[in-house]
Amino acid sequence: MSTPAWILGIFAAMMVLVAEVSAGQLVLARAWTRRGGAGVGIAVFRLLTGIAMAGILVPGLSILPNAVWEAAFAVVTAWFAWCLWRENRGRGAAAVAHGPYAPHLVQSAAMLYMFAALTGPSATGSPGTGGMSGMEWGSSGGLPALHAPTLALIFALLLIALTIHDLNRQADADGYFQVAGRRPGPAGTALAAAAAGPAAYTAERLLLSAAVVKGCQVAISVTMAFVLIIMI
Amino acid sequence: MISARAESNRVRRRERAGVTTLPGTDARRVLQLILAAIWLLDGMLQYQPSMYGTMFGQMIGGSAAGNPGVIANPISWNAALVEHHQVLLNTVFATIQLLLGLGIAYRPTVRLALAASIAWSLAVWWFGEGLGAVLSGGASPVNGAPGAVILYALLAVLLWPADRPGVTAPFVAARAVGAPVARLLWLVLWGSLAYFALIPANRAPQTLHDMMVSMSGGETGWVTWLENQAAAALAGRGLTVSIVLAVALIAVAAGVFLPPPLARSTLILALVVAAFIWVLGEAFGQLLTGGATDPNSGPLLALLVGAYWPLATGGQGEDNDARPGEKPA
Repeated sequence: MSTPAWILGIFAAMMVLVAEVSAGQLVLARAWTRRGGAGVGIAVFRLLTGIAMAGILVPGLSILPNAVWEAAFAVVTAWFAWCLWRENRGRGAAAVAHGPYAPHLVQSAAMLYMFAALTGPSATGSPGTGGMSGMEWGSSGGLPALHAPTLALIFALLLIALTIHDLNRQADADGYFQVAGRRPGPAGTALAAAAAGPAAYTAERLLLSAAVVKGCQVAISVTMAFVLIIMI
Repeated sequence: MISARAESNRVRRRERAGVTTLPGTDARRVLQLILAAIWLLDGMLQYQPSMYGTMFGQMIGGSAAGNPGVIANPISWNAALVEHHQVLLNTVFATIQLLLGLGIAYRPTVRLALAASIAWSLAVWWFGEGLGAVLSGGASPVNGAPGAVILYALLAVLLWPADRPGVTAPFVAARAVGAPVARLLWLVLWGSLAYFALIPANRAPQTLHDMMVSMSGGETGWVTWLENQAAAALAGRGLTVSIVLAVALIAVAAGVFLPPPLARSTLILALVVAAFIWVLGEAFGQLLTGGATDPNSGPLLALLVGAYWPLATGGQGEDNDARPGEKPA
């Protein structure tokens, strides 16, 4: 009795797509700007999350041990917390509440929890294989249960709230969904893109569009909440 | 003067911080978004591993018990269908609910999703919940009567993004259907809960105790402890609790007809009752057991309170989901 593998596969495919889009955004940020700013960090986070979530959902896609993911998301969570603290000092609590760091802090903390709650002694399989092949799977073939399910539910509810918040927010309203600290189509970018050809320019506009970023953000929140709930 | 300056400073601070006002995020939109979040949660709960076992079909079939044949037969048919096509149908159910949540949250599809949610809720209320045991004599306000899912339909109607021309609504729920209809719906809902609190099955001395003990099954430690403590405190006091609850529910039902200050008091009482129902009667919707299909009625009752909370300046917000011409002149 478990959630069918093909459903998990659909969510995993969505996460792989998010990772690919994020990788594309990073490539663009590196190619056409000297300084991506906070947006680069967020794109890196989405890339990591997409890969890690795909590995949770489909073990065959797991590329790193759980312990490595746990450490990676601990670092990312600390980085977002620091950004949030810095933002709070510089621009005040209102900016923090409406800026991009708080949602990503929640998401990265949820990822950290997910890996930490699975790597405890009773959650992993045999000691010899623990943490070496991504998530340890339950004997029924479904995803394993998490430690501290109350925390899983709290994170799931926060992620659902984030999903609703992001969906309700207009994509191009206030730069919330801008990528890599830049907007598509400034003079330098346009020149570079024109040199690269119209296809590259279209790809850039698509990858950096607020709608795509919003889609990635929503996809990550929905998938994380889904995974947390089915692992309670 | 001081307040104007404070407001001006607040706006300047928000502008400096880069915070912009979101168009259409008025009180009704906030309530719609909470409803969307609950639908989204429902969809995800429906994907839980236990829903792909035999439990889900049996749960549906069980709701036919005690209902008249004309109600029960379609439920049994639906239960058999679900048991035969477990994976497909459960996935369809889960996905529909997921899409309803996403659809209500996404502005361009809010009307479509709310309309679909009404149809879906009515179907589930009959074919999945046996009309909330209203006709079978087993309905209790403490464990979800009149069926949590019918409250989704009610909320979708009351939060419909339209305004009655030329009318200033005293509360959000009155904006789409008008204050008299909204008050009548509130009266019927809470009045029926008061009635259910007093039916013989619910006022028996051990009913509440047994209900709470059964709700603690499969729960995590602290919820079990909470349920057991409450069950022990209420053991043998079913009649007293039923009477107190019925009086509170009648006060709540009548509250929306009172002047705003008194109405607010009864709405606070409604929140307290909803919290009692959700925490002790429904064990937080049993969300931590891995077998819940929704958070049950408590949060929806609280959301309804929000929809009936008296507005200081009338109900017309800056809701850009309402069609042009639907706003008051």
